[in-house]
Amino acid sequence: MAVVIRRLEESDETEALDCGDAPLNSYLKKYAWVNQEKSSIGVTYAAVEEAVPLRVLGYFTIAMSSVPREAFPSKHARGLPNYDLPLILLARLAVDLRFAGKGLGHALISEVFRISLRVSGEVGCRCIVTDAYRERTDWYARYGFAPIEGAAPEGPQRMFLDIRTIRAALRPFPHAPPNPVS
Amino acid sequence: MALKPGRKSVETKRRRSTKFQADLAPSEDRAVRTLKQELEVRSNSDFLADAVALFRWAVSERRLGHRIFSETQSGERKVLMFPRLERVAPEAGLSRIEISWTERELASLAGLVSSADPQPPTKALVRAMRD
Repeated sequence: MAVVIRRLEESDETEALDCGDAPLNSYLKKYAWVNQEKSSIGVTYAAVEEAVPLRVLGYFTIAMSSVPREAFPSKHARGLPNYDLPLILLARLAVDLRFAGKGLGHALISEVFRISLRVSGEVGCRCIVTDAYRERTDWYARYGFAPIEGAAPEGPQRMFLDIRTIRAALRPFPHAPPNPVS
Repeated sequence: MALKPGRKSVETKRRRSTKFQADLAPSEDRAVRTLKQELEVRSNSDFLADAVALFRWAVSERRLGHRIFSETQSGERKVLMFPRLERVAPEAGLSRIEISWTERELASLAGLVSSADPQPPTKALVRAMRD
């Protein structure tokens, strides 16, 4: 199955997507397009099958954000640059249940990383932050997302991935073990 | 030792050309041969040069945000969907959003951001970036 990931379009068929989570289903159907084109508070990328290019199989929504320098507790702000901290918020990521386990989530998060790198090169961005469902934190951790401590235990877990870590993943075998000496 | 002018230009030309080697699956090899025949292209170099020219054009069009499509005589259109081309399509700029943070989250974030050495990439991340 050849999949293409591209920006959500108005004509996309979003009704059939069922990721097993009502708020994520509902966001795509009711809010994603409006938030992208009218309110401009988040851009949604849709995964579609090449052969059926309008039916959305999965999606993610991202937006820029920043943390004001003065918001950091003063004793923790010493090592930080003297400016607000720009970041990308991965606000939503969902895969239709019928396509779960087929690598679609991996394809979507890979695209998030590529876009983040591109954005960091064009306008500056220090990290990706996401609010992950507690049962999905292991999946994000596989890609190097680290938990940000301090969230309410019953809510989602806020997670962090350094843009430098993503950049390092492109270097040729940066962490390959040294050649064994015979 | 002085080189004759003609020989020098040949050597310069040789130095400038780059060899390109590709491992093709049998089906891809057959496709290349068929295309070369149809297009009456004799050498692999010419074939590659034409393919690169076509790809460059497609990339430049998509980079401008233009869609590439074929149109039948009855006006029916099929849009070209090519995953790699979508990567050069222009972003309309990401939107901005405010996030609320607790003080403990900000302290934790400050610690993560101010570390001199970032975490090394995991295997899954490396795979994600190289697939």
